[in-house]
Amino acid sequence: MIVAHVRGHHTRPEEIDEHARASWLGGLDARAKIAGTVAFVVATALLTRTELVLASLMLSVSFAAVSRVPYRHLMRMYLGALPFILIASVSVFMFAGFWRGMDMWARTSSCVIALLVLASGTETFELFSGLRGLKVPRLVSTLLTLTYRYILILGDELGRMRTARRARGFRGGRSLLDSRGLRVISSTAGMVFVRAAGRAENGYEALRARGFRSDMRPMRTSRLKAADLAFMAWFACVSSLLVALQLGAVP
Amino acid sequence: MKALEVRALSFAYEDGTPALKGVDLEMEEGEKVAVIGPNGAGKSTLLHLVAGFRAPFQGSVKVMGKPLDERSADDVRRHIGLLFQDPDDQIFMPTVEEDVGFGPLNLGLDSVEERVSRALRSVSVEDLAKRKPHRLSHGMKKRVAIAGVLAMEPDLLLLDEPTAGLDPRSRSGLIGLLRDMRRTMLIATHDLEAAGEVADRVVLLNGSVAFDGPLSGLMRRDDLLDAAGLEPPQVSRLFRRLRGMGYGAQTVPVTLDQGVAEAVKLMEREKGRSGDRGR
Repeated sequence: MIVAHVRGHHTRPEEIDEHARASWLGGLDARAKIAGTVAFVVATALLTRTELVLASLMLSVSFAAVSRVPYRHLMRMYLGALPFILIASVSVFMFAGFWRGMDMWARTSSCVIALLVLASGTETFELFSGLRGLKVPRLVSTLLTLTYRYILILGDELGRMRTARRARGFRGGRSLLDSRGLRVISSTAGMVFVRAAGRAENGYEALRARGFRSDMRPMRTSRLKAADLAFMAWFACVSSLLVALQLGAVP
Repeated sequence: MKALEVRALSFAYEDGTPALKGVDLEMEEGEKVAVIGPNGAGKSTLLHLVAGFRAPFQGSVKVMGKPLDERSADDVRRHIGLLFQDPDDQIFMPTVEEDVGFGPLNLGLDSVEERVSRALRSVSVEDLAKRKPHRLSHGMKKRVAIAGVLAMEPDLLLLDEPTAGLDPRSRSGLIGLLRDMRRTMLIATHDLEAAGEVADRVVLLNGSVAFDGPLSGLMRRDDLLDAAGLEPPQVSRLFRRLRGMGYGAQTVPVTLDQGVAEAVKLMEREKGRSGDRGR
């Protein structure tokens, strides 16, 4: 009977974490993934030699390719970040020349791709609990968790109101000249915030009702497994090698 | 010691709209009380107020002998398990078992894993422990939310519209679960049938307490039912109609079992009467 009640509702958290379950990265400990990826990003940020920056970019792209996170999803996310990457690259290009600009593009792209693979290959709550496990201040990990929940609530409310609008024949708002449509959309946005604030209040009271003060404690603490250690060791080696080559420590 | 003592409780919303006026309510340990009333009667407000989420208020509230005020609210809440009307407001963690363990971990209780499996077992969802709560049906979410409250082993359960939004099978399953649970419960509901099945007595709230006693007693008070805009359960309506047709039932049943018992008595009486006429 219970199984019959479990239906395949595809709600937003499921969609967001969909790729984490498809990738082998999803099975690794979040702490190992965060530590390894952040080490790689820091090492890449220190690189100035073009060949090393390109090597880092190739490593990032290879990491994305073997992660089994769908490339279309990564590409979409990367395109979202691209304007910021371009702003940084173009400003360097204007002041330091074409190749420096290209270096900046490759360096930031390498970091962004590695971080996108980390974010897509890890369930959001695991990512936050991984941060907590790495001794990031509890206030920060709790705030991230609560913010994520608020964003989900906001998305839910927006979806409901959009459906309600369409159900009553609203088709406007597709043009900036459609003043009525824009008025409807702006009042919807206002209502979404009011309703989401109400629901967020309920959600917070529900947390308080179960003894929540300021910290989300995990039910179990897990130990790093061999695969987690291998993942960290690989990134530690690659990052150290890149930095050593940059500093000229390796001939 | 009383599980709950509410004396002359009055509360108004921030805009000044009165929600509760001079409410008195007492509950013994182990008692199940349903707070019934129409929408906007203040049922949920009363529950949230007892849980320390609405302040300031006039009057006094004591939970397990502890007076409630803004400073003692966190301490008083350790005795309380509040079930929210919408389980999506309550369920938070990525898996069912983590969500059920959320309260005990926060309260620093011991044997958390044991508590979690006990709570899941008590609402018959132990198979769902590793599931993502967001993928469950509304009825199952309600059960998970109840498990999350039970895992804290509170002295007083406050249930806000537990049967709202459930399909008939989930509803009757949940009613059976609550009926068989040996807990002190204050249930806010407008589902009179559920109140009849689960609660030992009902409190009719319409801003203030209009009635406090057994549901069958309230079923005889048409004036109160009309004033509160409440519809009696189907089985009560059937027997009221039969009474109007001259088939006098001795009591007004509120649950199906009571209705069956009353119907049997009625048929036997009618059989005896027609036998007398035959002689």
